[in-house]
This record gives sequence, C-alpha cells and structure tokens, in this order.
Amino acid sequence: MVAQSAAAHHSGAMFDGHKSIALHGTVRLFQWTNPHCWIQLLVPSAAATTEWSIEMGSTSNLYRNGWRSSTLSAGERITVVIHPVRDGTAAGQFVAAAAVDGSSLGRAPARASP
Amino acid sequence: MRSAAVLWLIAVLAVAWAEAAPNSPQRVRAFAALPDWTGLWETAASRAFNRLSGKAAGNEYEAINHYVQLVGPAPYTQAWGKALQAELRNPAAAASASNVKLCTYGFPIIMDVLQIFQAVVTPEETLLVFDDGEVRHIYTDGRGHPVKDDLWPTAMGDSVGHWEGDTLVIDTVARIEGPLGIGPNKLSARAHFTERVRRLDKNNLEDQMTIDDPIAFTHPWKLTLHYTRAADLDRMLPWDCANDRNPVVNGKISVAPP
Repeated sequence: MVAQSAAAHHSGAMFDGHKSIALHGTVRLFQWTNPHCWIQLLVPSAAATTEWSIEMGSTSNLYRNGWRSSTLSAGERITVVIHPVRDGTAAGQFVAAAAVDGSSLGRAPARASP
Repeated sequence: MRSAAVLWLIAVLAVAWAEAAPNSPQRVRAFAALPDWTGLWETAASRAFNRLSGKAAGNEYEAINHYVQLVGPAPYTQAWGKALQAELRNPAAAASASNVKLCTYGFPIIMDVLQIFQAVVTPEETLLVFDDGEVRHIYTDGRGHPVKDDLWPTAMGDSVGHWEGDTLVIDTVARIEGPLGIGPNKLSARAHFTERVRRLDKNNLEDQMTIDDPIAFTHPWKLTLHYTRAADLDRMLPWDCANDRNPVVNGKISVAPP
C-alpha cells in the first residue's frame, strides 16, 4: 500500500482519476499560491451557475510548465478538463485547460515517463 | 624608542589587516579544494512530475511514486514487517494514511520526493536548502555527533560529514522513530544513515544511501538516488502551505472555498 503520492502536499485519493469531465465557464478567480494554485470557475447550466474549485500544482510546478500568475484573468472564458472529487462536490483536480480559441494554456499534459 | 613605536604600529596594522581580511589563506585554500555543486537539483520524481501540465492527474499522479525508491520494499525483520503490516491493515490507520497531508517531509524522504534543493558547500559544513524551507546541516569541521545528553531525535536527524576527494560522506543518526511520511515504510529510532554524495558531471549528482536499522532490518538497505540540475530555474521557487485549502473533514481531505 502506498499511503500518499510523493507528488506533494496530500494524497490524490480524493480525486477520481478514472473520470474526466470538461468544464466550460468563466474564471472568477485564479489563485497563484502554494501549496496549490486554484481556478475558481463559474459554470452555467440550464438550472443555475455553479462555482467549481479546481486544484492545480504548486507555483513552481506550474511555472515550469509555462504558466504565470497572469495566465488567467477574472472574466476570461476557458475550458478546463478535471478529474472530479469522489464526494460529488463541485471540485476537481486540474488536467488541462484551453482558451476559447482552442489554444492550450500552459504546456500540454504528458504522461510521466523515465 | 622610535623603532619600537614603528614595530608596534606595524604589528597593530598587521593584526587589523588579518582581522579585516575576508578569509584566512587557510580557509581560502579549504574552499578551493571543495567541489562545485552550485545550482538547483531535483529528484527523478520531480523530473517526471514537471513534465506534466499543472497537477499530474489520476494514474499519472500516482505513477510518480514509481520514481521514489524510499517507498519501495525495505529489508524488514520478520517481526518488524509483521507488526507494520498489522498497522497498515488497521482500518483507522489505513484511512488516516490515505488522507495524509504534508507541508514538510523530514529526512530521509526529503531526499527522494519533489522538493528541489540547493547545495551550499563550505569548509565547515554543507547545507542542503530545500524549496519548502527545510535545511540539512552537514557539519564537516571534524566534529562528531553530540554526546547522548545533547542529542535527541529530530525530523532531520543529526548529520556530520567528511570529504573523501570529491565525495561527501555523511553520517546521520537521531532521526525520529516512525513512518517515512510517504509510503508504507517505517524506521526505528536506531536507524543509521550513511550517504556518499558526489557530482558525476556538470548536471548530475548522486547519493549512495545506506540505511542500517538494527531493530527493523535484517541487513542494510542500499539505494542510489540521482539528482539532475534544474536548468530551467535561475532561482529557488519557494513552496509552502500558506493557502492550504484542503482541510481534513470527517477524516477525509476535502476542498475548501477560497
């Protein structure tokens, strides 16, 4: 048994790594912080608008993947792919993001390899 | 009388010059003999993780553990291994272990996880300064470990070292007994660590680590940890838990609003 990923601050067990969903919404807040950066994304639906909390890597991790604190601004429309949390709340683990023109934000994700 | 005053003045000036000199010739020579480990160094796990965009996800995220040798199988005695397995099977302990949060790591796991470090090599000590603020002090001024009454267990243990050519040989004792923090492994309070750290070339550093634990192990556990220069970084980017939005609620890590 591996208690926790070495990847950082906490276990990834809270996220469903086998499930990916794409969220289309508007950035309310981009937190360039540690231990994680966060995107607060307002996602409209027919019934209501839901605010999602999207957990990213650390500032160092994002910086090395081409992100900066200015990469996202409030009001910007983006698409974010996440692995949702298992408990059904509006939150998830960041996988990738794209601007409205389809261009990738930050470096495109890659699988870990030796 | 006059010549005595001149001699006195010369002596005073010589002392003042020696005290004002930034380093004694002896210390300058000692510095010159040390290897150059300038730069920022990262583990195999960090290299893998930082190929990912944002946070690595799902299986990729967990796959990072494949690069962390200290989560691998240790040469436990039958008694220690059995007791540890019983601990890990305990439902409460298992739930707690899968909801671990760390903002610091301690030794030895700090040498094998994602934290980037800078090595500061001086004649008196080598410091390994990690991006989460943790520091290893490895004294190389000839001292031994403190006597029993002055030595108590800490997260980093107590490290002294000496140079064998360009290899820093580190001896560490007095690590707190218990889990490594990440993974299933656990050491006793008598764990004794020997490391041989050397620069292989401009961009590669190697740490041959031997963990001898007379209580937990049948024989010493030998690992070779490998670090590469983080060439894309021109400064240390600090990591901390200032904006921790992952409270543990009802025993589980959750997500809090901003």
